[in-house]
Amino acid sequence: MCLSRFSASVTMAKVQVLNVAVLDNPSPFGNPFQFEITFECMEDLPEDLEWKIIYVGSAESEEYDQTLDSVLVGPVPAGRHMFVFQADAPNTGLIPESDAVGVTVVLITCTYRGQEFIRIGYYVNNEYTDPELRENPPIKPDYTQLQRNILASNPRVTRFHINWEGCAERMEDSENVDPASNSMLPPSCLPGKAPPLGLLPDNSMDCL
Amino acid sequence: MKLLKPSWVSHNGKPIFSVDIHPDGTKFATGGQGEDSGKVMIWNMAPVLREEDEKNENIPKMLCQMDNHLACVNCVRWSNNGLYLASGGDDKLVMVWKRAAFIGPSTVFGSSSKLANVEQWRCVTILRNHTGDVMDVAWSPHDVWLASCSVDNTIVIWNARKFPEMVTCLRGHTGLVKGLTWDPVGKYIASQADDHSLKVWRTMDWQLETNITKPFSECGGTTHVLRLSWSPDGQYLVSAHAMNNSGPTAQIVERDGWKTNMDFVGHRKAVTVVKFNPKIFKKKQKNGGSPKPSCPYCCCAVGSKDRSLSVWLTSLKRPLVVIHDLFDKSIMDISWTLTGLGILVCSMDGTVAYLDFSLDELGDPLNEEEKNTIHQNIYGKSLAITSTEAQLSTTIIENPEMLKYQQERQNAAQAGSGPGGAGLESTAPKLNSVMNGESLEDIRKNLLKKQVETRTADGRRRITPLCIAQLDTGDFSPALFNSVPILPGSSMPSQLTPQLSSDSSQGQASSLGLRPSHDTLLTSPPVKQSLLLTSASKIEPMKALDSRFTERSKATPGVTADGSSILKDVKNKEETSSDSEDKMAAINKNLSFTKRKADLLMDGGEVVEKRKKGRPRKDKMATPISQCYTNKVLLLLLLNYKLKDCVCVFVQVSMEPSVFLEVENDVSVVAGSKLSQLRCSRDGREWDTLLPSSVVTAAGSSDVIAVACEDRMLSVFSSCGRRLLPAIQLATPMSALHCSSHFVMALTAGARLSVWDVQKQTALVKNESLLTIMSGADTTVSQSLLTQQGVPVIGLSSGKSYCFNSSLETWTLIADKGDSLVQCADFRSCLPSHDAPVSSGPLAVMQGRNLNAGRLASRLSSTPHHLQQSMTLAFLENQLAAALTLLSAQEYRYWLLIYARFLVNEGSEYRLRELCKELLGPVHKSAATAWEPTTLGLRKRELLRELLPVIGQNLRFQRLFTEYQEQLELLRNK
Repeated sequence: MCLSRFSASVTMAKVQVLNVAVLDNPSPFGNPFQFEITFECMEDLPEDLEWKIIYVGSAESEEYDQTLDSVLVGPVPAGRHMFVFQADAPNTGLIPESDAVGVTVVLITCTYRGQEFIRIGYYVNNEYTDPELRENPPIKPDYTQLQRNILASNPRVTRFHINWEGCAERMEDSENVDPASNSMLPPSCLPGKAPPLGLLPDNSMDCL
Repeated sequence: MKLLKPSWVSHNGKPIFSVDIHPDGTKFATGGQGEDSGKVMIWNMAPVLREEDEKNENIPKMLCQMDNHLACVNCVRWSNNGLYLASGGDDKLVMVWKRAAFIGPSTVFGSSSKLANVEQWRCVTILRNHTGDVMDVAWSPHDVWLASCSVDNTIVIWNARKFPEMVTCLRGHTGLVKGLTWDPVGKYIASQADDHSLKVWRTMDWQLETNITKPFSECGGTTHVLRLSWSPDGQYLVSAHAMNNSGPTAQIVERDGWKTNMDFVGHRKAVTVVKFNPKIFKKKQKNGGSPKPSCPYCCCAVGSKDRSLSVWLTSLKRPLVVIHDLFDKSIMDISWTLTGLGILVCSMDGTVAYLDFSLDELGDPLNEEEKNTIHQNIYGKSLAITSTEAQLSTTIIENPEMLKYQQERQNAAQAGSGPGGAGLESTAPKLNSVMNGESLEDIRKNLLKKQVETRTADGRRRITPLCIAQLDTGDFSPALFNSVPILPGSSMPSQLTPQLSSDSSQGQASSLGLRPSHDTLLTSPPVKQSLLLTSASKIEPMKALDSRFTERSKATPGVTADGSSILKDVKNKEETSSDSEDKMAAINKNLSFTKRKADLLMDGGEVVEKRKKGRPRKDKMATPISQCYTNKVLLLLLLNYKLKDCVCVFVQVSMEPSVFLEVENDVSVVAGSKLSQLRCSRDGREWDTLLPSSVVTAAGSSDVIAVACEDRMLSVFSSCGRRLLPAIQLATPMSALHCSSHFVMALTAGARLSVWDVQKQTALVKNESLLTIMSGADTTVSQSLLTQQGVPVIGLSSGKSYCFNSSLETWTLIADKGDSLVQCADFRSCLPSHDAPVSSGPLAVMQGRNLNAGRLASRLSSTPHHLQQSMTLAFLENQLAAALTLLSAQEYRYWLLIYARFLVNEGSEYRLRELCKELLGPVHKSAATAWEPTTLGLRKRELLRELLPVIGQNLRFQRLFTEYQEQLELLRNK
């Protein structure tokens, strides 16, 4: 005991993500993202869940993060549910040209009452399918020729404790929220310098 | 002693706070800190026990991990039956886990370890009540209760048969409660807290039995846990951290007077955990040594903050063994295997250690029988049933037949743990598929197209997720702990259920009939038209009956009369009833007269159908008949109508063959006397006969038709219309008339009962007075019936039912609705687990089919087990005796099986043996024996053959099983 303590309002996570299947993968860069999400809910949820897909434009800085889409999911009675979350491909204009090709990250987050309780990260490898282009990539990326390959077998899941009964304000009050931090970051995450990959429990890139 | 530290048992280096070995010894659970949550893990025991299994890659080490606890898990405990795991943690929650077998991911999604969960355990219930960290949980003997204690200073007792119901909250500690232990015989629960006290609570009333403070007065509150333990013989309670002369000890508290004279001394720091070996030992007999009987002793392991473990035998003054530096940090929990030879210890440093003792070191463990004998000697028989099935599982099965039944029982235990359990799947908390037969694959293919997507008012996308399975949260029915409860009567067609409820209203109607409310009708203006009260919709049988009974129904038969004559009759009737005995009205259970009035009043003069006279059209009758027929319920629709002059009654007597009876009074006048006609239609063939007086009541069965007339004559005809008996003269007017098979029962207004066997032309009951059973001024007859075997049964308004036993020539009580035994008896676990035919018969009718096995049993869960056991036993024996006296063979067999199952479950060997002996009878023929080979037409040895599989389910009765199986075999070959 005594190793981690929570406020009285914290209860067990009501939603457990059981599986995320990456559909249409690999696919051309311009195709929409499709994730089939299966989750289980312990009891009826009075409010909707909010899911987001965030595309990390550049590992260097969060300012290139794009929220591809956010969607409300509800009503959610107790039980096991699934849905497909489809979101358009990222706006190429917002991606630094140097980061267009190579490895980046796509994040799926879910919030309840404004509090993020799960963050699922996937490594994404964008590369030209044409060997010629691969050898000699154009300076200005040709997105039509890029293939997106999500490393579906290796999701990185981070779960956060939230107050399922109350609203976000109380958690926002907690000490470790940096007002300057990106709003995408959950309150309990280290704000600031940590690159998006740092969110993942262990960023072993060696698996790529 | 061997010592092993299986390095693979770890929570990734995080502390392990608790360890518990499954009762079957094949796995164990650990609880502690996870990555960012509490963690419960289930491990395979085999790789701990055997090196070759540890090396075998194909044998999984980790079976399941659960991250559901939000914060550190302080305690994990298996239920005694091994079906459930309870865990308590810093998140203030107690979770109860159950093995699941539904489709699902075999890994925790996104888990960094790619280790698959070999077993799926899921949380079936979350117990919320504590307002602080839960420190310890404990299942009571027999898994009746689950106790949890917390830093909120309370102990909560949960009803383990009905989670999440709370039985009580024990308040009294003024500090963090850090340990719990149940008395092995279930009489007490003890708790130890930081408030320098150890408290013992009674389970009888949940009050404090004793409060022990002296040995703890010097203690500081720095121990993480204070896991105390009760010895398996129940005689000693050993505390965790106590102080004696400034030294840390484990205090021994004697059950006798709660004396605190002894302690275990030697640890350098506070004792965190004490755990008794579940076995009682006796000294190993040395070869050639004197067989001097030695005193049995217990064995106890003590773990401390000083990182060392000591193991003590209560027969030795010094510890058997002390192991220092086993861990880097404090010992947190200890668990013994049920064999008593192995021990798992876990530590704050995140490791576990396994110690393996030999019999030479500990001694000879007593078997369950010997342990029971000790318990019986100390606590008496009733409290001593402590051996669990799991403990028995170590017994060697000697008989191949026995093995079969044991396996069947295990399969049943797995299958039967869910209502309607079919196969292994049902052990899972049910996820009710809502996919309408579509496969998950089909759904997934089209999910994107199919899912409903809308836009919210502010233009946001909103997806309605597709529900692929509903969570059955009502999983924790008592059925899970016992077998499937099939309540008597549950297989009755639902159509008949409402009729049961009319039972009470009938009683009301009867009493109503005695009130002066008669007058309302008498003075009410005559109804102008003639009334026909019959309508198909009004015919509803009053009792759920099967073919064996003739019973009157609430049906208002085709009564046609003109209003004035009704009034006249009413007056006549009033006069007759006033000059007959007072009791007449009381036992006049028919009261069709009153009822008809009630109908009249209810209808408010509304004329259902105007008809001058005569029988209702056939099509009117057809409706209820066909209904009955489709339900395949053989309804002997009533009979028993008090008829007035000019009244025609049309009744169906039997469905199969279909027999209709029609009575018409005053058909013609011959030589000044009025004649009545009795017409009977049987399978389309009709016969009729004339009677010299008005018919008052008629009844029939498939064999006989009986008619009572106004002149107090009773006539009996065969089903083809032959007069079977000369008219019988009754002393007083007929009150109730029943026919069943070839028996006729007459209940007269003079409160006298007669039953005749028409076939043999003898009287079974001779004008017997009901006054014996009708004590009390307000008692009335609320129900009467005649069984197929000719046993008359009388139900009284007091809720008691009697039958007249003609061989004993006495009234015998067969049912009492107010009997507390009925309400407290809990034999749910002994009910047939499959869809066996439920009890139906006279006993069920008289007791009401809503007889609910242990309806109050759960409410009385605080009743000590032995009390409830005795009540159940008494109840079941009553049922058997009642079925016997009612000559109801089917019910006798039904209750006999339940009774046997109960005896087997409860381990009542003497009764079981006597029962078997009686059923088997003498193996060798001898003239002197009075043993009857049959009872109620059932062959006793056949019954015994049916009982053997039941007996075979309890390993303890192995000898008994073999003995009787062999004798039966012997007899069969003769």
